[in-house]
Amino acid sequence: MDSKKYETEINGVKSLEKLNELEIKYLGRNGLVNDLLSKIKEIPNDQKKEYGQKVNALKRSINQLIQTKKLELQNKKSAVYFDKTLPGKIYPKGSLHIISNAIEEITKIYEKIGFIRVSYPEVDWEYGAFESLNMPSNHPARDDVETSFIDAPAHPKFGKMVLTPHTSNGQNREMRRVKTPPIRMINISKCYRPNWDATHTPMFHQFEGLCVDHGITIANLKGTLDYFAEKYFGKGTKTRLRPHHFQFTEPSFEVDVTCTVCKGSSDVNGEKCKVCKSGWLELGGTGMVHPNVLKEGGINSGEFSGWAFGFGIERVIMMKYGLEDIRNYYSGDIRFLEQF
Amino acid sequence: MNIKITYNWVLDYLDTDATPDEMQKYLSLSGPSIERIEKVRNDYVFDVEITSNRIDTASVIGIAQETQAILPMFGKSARLKFNPIKEYNFKKYYLTHDREIDNKKLNIVIKDKFLCPRFTAIVFENVKIAPSPKFISERLIACGIKSINNVVDISNFLMLSLGQPVHVFDYDQIKGATMIMRESKKGEKIVTLDEKEVTLPGGDIVIEDGSDRLIDLCGIMGGLNSAINDNTKNVVLFVQTYDKVKIRKTTMTTGVRTVAATFFEKGLDPERVEPTLVYGVELLEKFAQGKVASKLYDIYPKKQKEKSLVMSYELFDKKVGVKIDRKIINNILTNLGFGVRVAPNKGLTLQEGRTLQITIPSFRTNDINIPEDIVEEVARIYGYHNIPSILQPIVYVNQPKEMEDIFTFQNKIKLLLKHLGLNEVINYSMVSKQMIEKSGLNIKDHLRLSNSISTDIEFLRISLLPSLEKNIKENKGRQEVLQLFEIGKIYLKRVSPVKDSPYKESPCEEVYRIGIATNTDYSDLKGIIEAIYKELNIEQLLIPEINEKDGIFLTEIDFQTLIDYCQLVPKYKPLHPYAIIKLDKTFEIQPNTTYAVVRQRAFQSKLLKKMEVITLYQNKLTLRFYYSSSSRNITEEEAKSELYKVRP
Repeated sequence: MDSKKYETEINGVKSLEKLNELEIKYLGRNGLVNDLLSKIKEIPNDQKKEYGQKVNALKRSINQLIQTKKLELQNKKSAVYFDKTLPGKIYPKGSLHIISNAIEEITKIYEKIGFIRVSYPEVDWEYGAFESLNMPSNHPARDDVETSFIDAPAHPKFGKMVLTPHTSNGQNREMRRVKTPPIRMINISKCYRPNWDATHTPMFHQFEGLCVDHGITIANLKGTLDYFAEKYFGKGTKTRLRPHHFQFTEPSFEVDVTCTVCKGSSDVNGEKCKVCKSGWLELGGTGMVHPNVLKEGGINSGEFSGWAFGFGIERVIMMKYGLEDIRNYYSGDIRFLEQF
Repeated sequence: MNIKITYNWVLDYLDTDATPDEMQKYLSLSGPSIERIEKVRNDYVFDVEITSNRIDTASVIGIAQETQAILPMFGKSARLKFNPIKEYNFKKYYLTHDREIDNKKLNIVIKDKFLCPRFTAIVFENVKIAPSPKFISERLIACGIKSINNVVDISNFLMLSLGQPVHVFDYDQIKGATMIMRESKKGEKIVTLDEKEVTLPGGDIVIEDGSDRLIDLCGIMGGLNSAINDNTKNVVLFVQTYDKVKIRKTTMTTGVRTVAATFFEKGLDPERVEPTLVYGVELLEKFAQGKVASKLYDIYPKKQKEKSLVMSYELFDKKVGVKIDRKIINNILTNLGFGVRVAPNKGLTLQEGRTLQITIPSFRTNDINIPEDIVEEVARIYGYHNIPSILQPIVYVNQPKEMEDIFTFQNKIKLLLKHLGLNEVINYSMVSKQMIEKSGLNIKDHLRLSNSISTDIEFLRISLLPSLEKNIKENKGRQEVLQLFEIGKIYLKRVSPVKDSPYKESPCEEVYRIGIATNTDYSDLKGIIEAIYKELNIEQLLIPEINEKDGIFLTEIDFQTLIDYCQLVPKYKPLHPYAIIKLDKTFEIQPNTTYAVVRQRAFQSKLLKKMEVITLYQNKLTLRFYYSSSSRNITEEEAKSELYKVRP
């Protein structure tokens, strides 16, 4: 077939209708190309392959010419220039609070290793916030936990009404609910302490892990912390335990994770890391559940052991995303909220 | 609490090849956390965090003892070369109760022996008040304590060295040389060393002299009237331990928080009193030219008994999760000052013994009570980094349906509202009085915080709307269209009396709500509520009240109600091949012909499947009606006659 011919013919077309006619003429079921293909029967066997390839190449080249021309004609059709770089139709986006996002993420991480999320009261008796956690009244350890009290009559047995200063008040409630281990709890809730400055808000969120079973050890706690650190902060994140003291755990630890900025090297391009200074960032408190707490929860501490931790959600968000000024979290400022 | 001590000071008691940096690193990993090091002259100041159970480590000797146990595990040498607790004793320094010299007597009365487990005092004469020797004043200043004079500085030096606060009185200011230790009466007053008058709540430990004056608020601060001054000649060195609960109560209620109080309130070791007094005598004789002029007063009615614990070696393996060599266990405990005896029980040899008897040093009497406490001691010195990391077996635990529902539905609704373009807010659970009043709610229905730090957050909310309304107002000008929502709890007072179990119910009723606020219009907010209902396949639930206030539209939905009315999958309507007749009709909207009225009438027809709003122009409402039957084809006439019944 004369290549010049179909080229000039297609290029010379001025309307989409004419182009359609040409498309049928060349590529239609009874078109010229199919005509050529059907003639393959007459070609000697040793040339059949070469012939076929040639016809197919021709088909492709005609098709390409036609499609290019089609686009050209379509664009010409509307008199106004269509700017494809314009943004598309705008759909509403909205936003979830960054705390909601973190709660979802954390819940999912623990769900995968069999932990169930629970919901317990934010307003509790002193008993739930302290005594049940091996913190008798008048104990100096209560200084470590500043508490918001409620102006209401005290319960004769359980003391004053308080806003829970930590999610640990869920520990005994979960033990009483489950009765016989295994316990695998993740308790995420609002907590309250009378502090309000650049790094503290009077309301914040904690997530509390509690695991009680036969033969639970410090090694299991380390296993769980390493698992969380890698899943939440990213692969390669390491944890370390340092001795500490909490009344409701024995032994008690503070957990650090390798700094998300310098990856634990404390070095950023030859300078000391400004985020962590030492390669590590403090995550929060943890430990092996104190036998007195198990006892208070109705669990035989001779048979079962467990670990527990309580970490701040605002804190892990800060560590992961560098969101420093946590006061914005609860200001309701749309410029903050809409970003997430 | 934090204390400051110095590296060289520790070296007075300890031989080690560790640098200050190494000490910081290793101690922080296995013992007290050294939060900062500061170089001062040729020494290094450690700022050490002391946890409330380890007041025994709040001293130079306490840190030295820890260091002795910790450093060898990191390949560093550490050995106590001089242990003041053992070396300074009454016998060695000829301080006995029946000393001959007794020029300056003290008449001591203790009204209640429980106030003061151990009371010691000794009087010095011809003391020369002068500046301290350099090594004392420089160390104190480096550790953040003001240097005053040799006598006062020695008392502070003793406290940091051995962790036992001491007091010094001007002997001549104690009228009648009489000290009566008793509980205070309510409203009694004392002017303390800092020249402030403290009114006592009553039941505080105080000392009265022979002329009815209070001269000491014990364990917290001495009285101004008996303080050391430049003219002091004779000094009482006063070393005590007190009932910790009483001290704590006094320091918390009076607000006088001194360093001494933070020690005494944690309960101190009465055995530590002896070396402290002896060391004090040595220092006062040496650096203040004092001469002991009284017998030793040591009132110690109930000598602290040595505590011991029996436990099995297996407990270590069981709690830690790795088998620690028995020899290492024994070494760790010995280096920390514990006595270890392996019990050769059940026909086993001493080496194979499975249980061990541990004697607890007196300075650990308060914090070591159960075998788990010993496990902690061994595990931390062994090194938490040496314990493997093993995830516990994964097991199934049933999540209560009502808890699961809360989280599942919250997520569902949150995501829906987000995709509709709303922004989620989280507001404080507490609101201000003004917000409550502006919203027309009653203050009396709210729980109030008794120690709120700001009036902005004084009351627990009983509605999400006051805060949402405030959010919209505060965001004015930041964004044209505002559509906000919050899902959170409200806190309602309980009417019925509280139950006897703290687990059956919480002190107040905590109820989840969804609050929505927009600055758009009524139909926008109503549409949002309808979208939630549609998402949850809720059919028979009334739209909650929508309030309008200054162009802000607000509504609040009880969360549990949504869960109760929700259907996971809507009722299935079988598909059928029969024709659907669509008819449009325009109505004139009037108070007695509202959309709801039309709708109610229209749906009385069994053939009506769907009804839609097409247009609303002024009060002309055009609706579209879809008629069909699932068993046959209906005619247009049939449909029309059905629609005809819906006339105004």
